[in-house]
Amino acid sequence: MDGSGIVTETVVPVPGTRAAAPSLLTMNGIGKSFGSFVALAGIDIDFAGGEVHCLLGENGAGKSTLCNLVFGIHRPSEGAMRLKGEAYAPSGPSDALARGIAMVHQHFSLVNELTVIDNLLMGGSRGRLDRKAEARRIEALAEEFGLALAPFATVGDLSVGERQRVEIVKCLMRRPQVLILDEPTAVLLPDEIGSLLTVCRQVADSGCAVVMVTHKLAEIERVADRVTVLHRGRVSARSDRPAEEIPALVSAMIQRPAARSGEAVVGAIALAKRKPAGPRPPAGEAMQLDGVSFDDRTGVRRLDAVTLSIERGEIVGVAGVEGNGQSELGAILAGLARPTDGRWFAGGRDLTQASPREITRSGVGIVPEDRHAVGSIGKLSLADNLFLNRMRQFSRLGLIDRRRQMEKARDYIQRFDVRAAGATVAFGSLSGGNQQKAVLARELTTPNLRFLLAAQPTRGLDIGAIETVYGLIRDAAEEGVGVLLVSSELDELIAVADRIVVFYRGRIAGEYPADPVHREAIGTLMSGRSA
Amino acid sequence: MTLELVAIFLASSFRLAIPLLFAATGELVSERAGVVNMSIEGMMLAGAFGGAIGAAMTGSPLLGLACAVLAVLPVALLQSVLTNTLRANQIVTGIGINILVLGLTTLGYREFFGARSRTTIPGFDAWPVPVLSDLPLVGPLFQQIGMAWLAIAIILAVGAVLTMTGLGITLRAVGENPQAVAKAGRSVLALRHGAVLFAGIMSALGGAFLSIGDIHTFTEGMTNGAGYLAITAVIFGSWKLGRTVMACLLFGAATALQFQLPALGLGIPNALLIMLPYLLAFLAVAGLVGRQTAPRALAQPYWP
Repeated sequence: MDGSGIVTETVVPVPGTRAAAPSLLTMNGIGKSFGSFVALAGIDIDFAGGEVHCLLGENGAGKSTLCNLVFGIHRPSEGAMRLKGEAYAPSGPSDALARGIAMVHQHFSLVNELTVIDNLLMGGSRGRLDRKAEARRIEALAEEFGLALAPFATVGDLSVGERQRVEIVKCLMRRPQVLILDEPTAVLLPDEIGSLLTVCRQVADSGCAVVMVTHKLAEIERVADRVTVLHRGRVSARSDRPAEEIPALVSAMIQRPAARSGEAVVGAIALAKRKPAGPRPPAGEAMQLDGVSFDDRTGVRRLDAVTLSIERGEIVGVAGVEGNGQSELGAILAGLARPTDGRWFAGGRDLTQASPREITRSGVGIVPEDRHAVGSIGKLSLADNLFLNRMRQFSRLGLIDRRRQMEKARDYIQRFDVRAAGATVAFGSLSGGNQQKAVLARELTTPNLRFLLAAQPTRGLDIGAIETVYGLIRDAAEEGVGVLLVSSELDELIAVADRIVVFYRGRIAGEYPADPVHREAIGTLMSGRSA
Repeated sequence: MTLELVAIFLASSFRLAIPLLFAATGELVSERAGVVNMSIEGMMLAGAFGGAIGAAMTGSPLLGLACAVLAVLPVALLQSVLTNTLRANQIVTGIGINILVLGLTTLGYREFFGARSRTTIPGFDAWPVPVLSDLPLVGPLFQQIGMAWLAIAIILAVGAVLTMTGLGITLRAVGENPQAVAKAGRSVLALRHGAVLFAGIMSALGGAFLSIGDIHTFTEGMTNGAGYLAITAVIFGSWKLGRTVMACLLFGAATALQFQLPALGLGIPNALLIMLPYLLAFLAVAGLVGRQTAPRALAQPYWP
């Protein structure tokens, strides 16, 4: 590294008012490269006991890499770390754990088949187990931090929030000095987020340094004592009073003027609320669900008599915690599953028993929730992925006319702002945001598109890509496409949709106009209570 | 007369199940840790051969047993290094090892005993349990050699370790979610190497039972599919120890029937009976015998 950074550090100029707590862990001039890719460069950070220190940044800013360095998963390419004044160079996670560093990963490292207590004891204990005594000990610890736990439940039966509590308790059992949480709220219900933040506070108050990775500004407002903003692998801002400096933090994070930072605080996405303007799109129904039910293989009812109709030009949001029937609805609309009961229509045609091909031909576009498994083929080129279901248009005597395909692919790549080294690069090598834009490009160019299902279209994307994706979806709606938008990010739904239906246990639990005033009521419905 | 036949049938069912019990218990531990050893067959054969050579050279079946274990260790190590360290395909390496061991033991046997020899080698004598072995009907059950009781002791110990100790939980976890184990600070490789070596040692005991325990001789390819049956028993037993043991006993009984039915004069072709355990396993794999609950990371190499 020669030090000629892309981004110069702009320290938010507010003098700290809190009494400076002693630093527990310091990182000096830390850099990390993977081959020629520089993930982190010249990072100086200190984490102090008793503070909740948030790392803010877009995807790919280097937050996770930084955590992995601290936890010993990677070794820094340059620079040094000190823990309580002593040199700290963990050789691996077990070394980090032994030195008092614990981490809650974004993807839980729990064994679903084992009970909670066995998960907690796994790896740490040897010899014969006294599960009852251990369970009492652990329950006492969990209570100390306000975490409820059922020690003898099987982890696979727990909700995501409960599993996360198990993960946290697993860390706390080691009485860590530094607790790292990598995007802990990404998977939680609105009120679960609240209690998680309370737990973070309590853990910090016990003298531990809590490091929390996030890109949600509302959480920073609530819990952060200090914030370090990363942008493209460098520190782009620091703040000792984050709650008062949100707009500056946002612009440091995205390196663009946060002109609409007000909305950014609400949704962590810079999206302006759509105003009903311009000529009304063509009227008529885009899609209709008529009492659609679905039982899975084990006979569990996953969708229960869902009835919903979407006008052309309308964006209907589906709110709900994951696993409440959204995936099943997505599979039915994509033609990958047949409803047990009920029918569904698009463009006036009954597509209940239609094949995926027939559904596409009826003007239905599908952005699947798992774009890796269903929406794309990582080893094929970007150009091939852009036309996966419509390759035949380039077919001449059974052979593909590559020249024509490439021309059209380049056109799409430009129109939909897919950033790639070329049309022939492997799809899997693109960033998540660009993959999603490519999938959208394919689905939005479906001939005679009338209805689009966009399932979790922004999952794992950074703010810039989220903005583009919603821009594209909104443009489609302007042109008369009816959109069903499934997302676990309630704020995004409120910002983008016209109205929101709430899914709970396979049923529509309620419906609200997409207005921030209904945020709380929707959150209540999502958790299964009646509003 | 009939009573006597039943007694013999019970005893021979148990006797024929013993090598399976050893090998299947080892394979169960290995599969719970996430490694399929198709090489159980080869490891049993190596054990049978090592046991025979050792017993013949030293004149002591006990030293033969030690030789059986020694003979299997390199085979088990090979399997473990290939599949765990080098992350090779578990099925392919296992089958390769089986062919390798068949060749090596056949060569060694001919060199040592001479082709087509039927040399009897020193083996274990029966070790009847006092009182119990004199009972009617079940008496013959208790006239087995000491290894039979060793098998039962090991099974009980494995059951206790799997359910009641920290090692047991970690071992089960490594077959379900090795990443979680690694993050808890334990070495996935060490656990899996250990599990495969254990399977190897158990296969050695199972193989040695065949040569120096049961028939006191070695013949080419004498395991004759017993290793595959052991793997089948684990699948049939849904990766649970108790059920796997029952499956081994069932397969032992099915094999015993092969010898008993002709005596009863029933016109069932022998070949059908040889198929029986495999047929049962097919049904099990097809999900007809309860839900299959294979460890989630079974046969998947671990990438940190």
